[in-house]
Amino acid sequence: MNLASLAMRRPTALHSLGNMIRLESLVVLLLLILALSLASPYFLSVSNALNILLATSVIGILGFGATFVIAAAGIDLSVGSILGFGGVTGALAVNALNLPWPIGIMVSLLAGAFCGLVNGLLTTRARVPAFIVTLGMLGVARGAALVLTNGQPVYGLPGPMVWLGQGRPFGVPLPAVIFLGVAAITHFVLSRTRFGKYALVIGDNQNAARATGIHVERHLVALYTLSGFLAGLAGLVSAARVNSGDPTAGTGYELAAITAAILGGTNLFGGRASVVGTLIGALIMGVLQNGLNLLAVSSFYQQMAIGAVLVLAVWLDQLNRGRGRA
Amino acid sequence: MSLLALTDVRMSFGPVEALRGVSFSVAEGEAVALLGDNGAGKSTLMKTITGIYRPSGGAIRFNGQDLKDKDPGEIRRLGIEMIYQDLALAREQDVASNIFLGREPTRRLLGLPIRMIDTARIEAEAEAIIRRLGARVPSVRYRVGDLSGGQQQSVAIARALTFSPKLVIMDEPTAALAVREVEHVLDLVCELKRQRIAVILISHRLTDVFAVCDRVIALRQGEVVADEAVAKTSMNEVVAHIVGAS
Amino acid sequence: MRREGLTYAAILLLSVGFAAAAPAADGPTYGVVLKTLANPFWDAMAKGITEGAKEAQVNIFEQAANSDQDAETQLNICNTMLERNPQALIASAINSSNLLPCMKTANEKGIPVVDLDANLDPAVTQRAGVKIAFTIGSDNIAAGGKAADFLAQHLGSNAQGPVLVIEGLAGNVTGEERAQGFKAELAKVAPGLKVVASLPGDWDASKAANIANDTLQRNPDLVAIFACNDTMALGAVESVFAAGKGGKVTVIGVDGTTDGVKSIKAGRLTATVAQLPYLEGIEAIKDVKAILAGQSVPAVVHVPTLVLTAQVLAQGTNPYLKYVK
Repeated sequence: MNLASLAMRRPTALHSLGNMIRLESLVVLLLLILALSLASPYFLSVSNALNILLATSVIGILGFGATFVIAAAGIDLSVGSILGFGGVTGALAVNALNLPWPIGIMVSLLAGAFCGLVNGLLTTRARVPAFIVTLGMLGVARGAALVLTNGQPVYGLPGPMVWLGQGRPFGVPLPAVIFLGVAAITHFVLSRTRFGKYALVIGDNQNAARATGIHVERHLVALYTLSGFLAGLAGLVSAARVNSGDPTAGTGYELAAITAAILGGTNLFGGRASVVGTLIGALIMGVLQNGLNLLAVSSFYQQMAIGAVLVLAVWLDQLNRGRGRA
Repeated sequence: MSLLALTDVRMSFGPVEALRGVSFSVAEGEAVALLGDNGAGKSTLMKTITGIYRPSGGAIRFNGQDLKDKDPGEIRRLGIEMIYQDLALAREQDVASNIFLGREPTRRLLGLPIRMIDTARIEAEAEAIIRRLGARVPSVRYRVGDLSGGQQQSVAIARALTFSPKLVIMDEPTAALAVREVEHVLDLVCELKRQRIAVILISHRLTDVFAVCDRVIALRQGEVVADEAVAKTSMNEVVAHIVGAS
Repeated sequence: MRREGLTYAAILLLSVGFAAAAPAADGPTYGVVLKTLANPFWDAMAKGITEGAKEAQVNIFEQAANSDQDAETQLNICNTMLERNPQALIASAINSSNLLPCMKTANEKGIPVVDLDANLDPAVTQRAGVKIAFTIGSDNIAAGGKAADFLAQHLGSNAQGPVLVIEGLAGNVTGEERAQGFKAELAKVAPGLKVVASLPGDWDASKAANIANDTLQRNPDLVAIFACNDTMALGAVESVFAAGKGGKVTVIGVDGTTDGVKSIKAGRLTATVAQLPYLEGIEAIKDVKAILAGQSVPAVVHVPTLVLTAQVLAQGTNPYLKYVK
């Protein structure tokens, strides 16, 4: 008897926990923490824990968006580019146009949401596969960010915006607070509201969703918009962290976001997804990276390690679920 | 008085005539089997009744109302439920969620204008429906994908019941089931009849048809070739009608 | 279950294995944050740092981002490094602002911060309230100037014709200074040579190759290309040779990377203003040790550069040649 099958057969508290997250992921995370605590004397401390949350925040926020899109059997490859675009537009709004900082924040968020909306409309109305649409947006948003800035980072954001990325109320880095806040809200939305449930049902069986009167197209547009919005937020946080809107920011982050979701037990083919799982998935990557940094392992090996852990976690899942129900 | 009455229903797709003047009726609480070979027009007929297709001619009346110009949603609200062969279930969702799919009752979160799904209510009501139906589902919290084919069929029937239908159309409910499960699904059909719900059963399995249905209607090349009470016909006769040997 | 258990055990063992492989830190440790290791220049820098640490008998704790554009990841690495409480933080920031929060924390912890290879903008750094112990790097303006001097000497100060400048990543101070230094000096020493285009190659060989290709289409009489680093110069050389103009267009790079030196020896690249990152690495560690010992070090430490040509390499007499890796 293993954990997942136990969770699946017994409709108990463990069952609902097993529905929420993939227990293997939690075990992998805890083992990593245990091993790294043994390996490095610097690992297990409050300040390092906060440091990990801070370092994971941007990827995590993107991962929550990816969770919703993948839940509905979609894919969004453009979030890394939208992150760069959102950060740049917000930075330009306050820097080049001299608009007040709250507008700068709005601009970042809306720029992200707008890109997501375009993704959604093209996917549903023009019926171009999401993979292609968002791959296109990956290029377009990145190109737009480079064009708008001439390829140069836009330095210097107003104090309140920088505070979003660098502030430490009560010693807790603000990006970590935003990260956990977004986790709480998106977890509620995915697991407790019709919006979240319908995303899962669309990914599970689109015909069933249609048959029960769910507006599949409208819902997908909303999901891509949400993913874009969160990418805009991630762009804002990322820009605030380094005090500049960098048009190359977030390059390759889309794959990290998807990895976080998959590590957390979200099914790449839709229907099964969990925000708490993605939080764990993102933390697995963050903890691994942090630990390997503390141990002075070269960044080249770190990429290998994360790739290996991804395959491992999904493989453990397959073992537990028996016949390959991926 | 009949619940559903079709009079000379015609349906053509360009030059192809799929239905050539179909007429029959179904009474309240009656189970009618709709038989016919592949391409006889069964699914076209069902899609015409449920409003997915508009008939090119003839009339369909349900419970005294003309179904012409009604869309699938309206027809459903009038009391016709269709259970497709693929059941339209979300495998990763639990039984309760599937029963209330698309119509989840919600409640406010801490009195805020934020609506969350009322899981407790869904589970309680789903439990009650399952029990009333006598369906053999171990728990409403089970993932539907983990259930057997017959149990999934029960969930689909339970979901249909939440719409308080007067007529349930079932497309090949027993086709993919193990023998023991077939009996259970047939029991459920009988239970529907007891609750005065009419059933149209599309099936290839004549033994099932003869076990639960009151009447058989055979369709061939878009026409009704037989409409007889089960008590007055035999399996051989019905087969002859279907293949056109008589 | 047994297979799972084995897998979990394997994870545990692997992690502990990494731990065992990690160097035990006795004595003072300096933290070093580089831009990337996937680049010969930074590789040479890292080797110099290792050598310098050996000479100075200190430990080095060194990390780099995956690419020299991943500003946020570099900040994460820097933050993590501070968790180890190094005696000094030697950092080569990807841009002028990304590491400032980390450097500020270092300031608060009383850890001296060294700007390795002069990536910070003093104005921005000051506004952020970050204190830098010293900046070490080549004088990029002078390096660009040296390239112009070499070109004038190579072609003759009366030479005429169009010249292409391939800049670095747009907005990067280093690239801007090199291009600027080159253009200013060229106008002085060889006014007949006109810069017809100055385009960003983003430190990238294939981008530089495209730029060189396009410019050769428009200006078939191109006499020289100055690229702000060797990687781009090598890309440009490929385009020159592909266009059948090998040897007719003078191509000069900056950095003196191993590949650059190879290309010069092979008669393709004309010259490079060698940055001597290896020397810079050694020097940086030496200077950090000095300030930690209470000695003073100038606020800006300039590491010499060296113009490498086939001739210089063949003679092998220049004393700095031993720092060319």
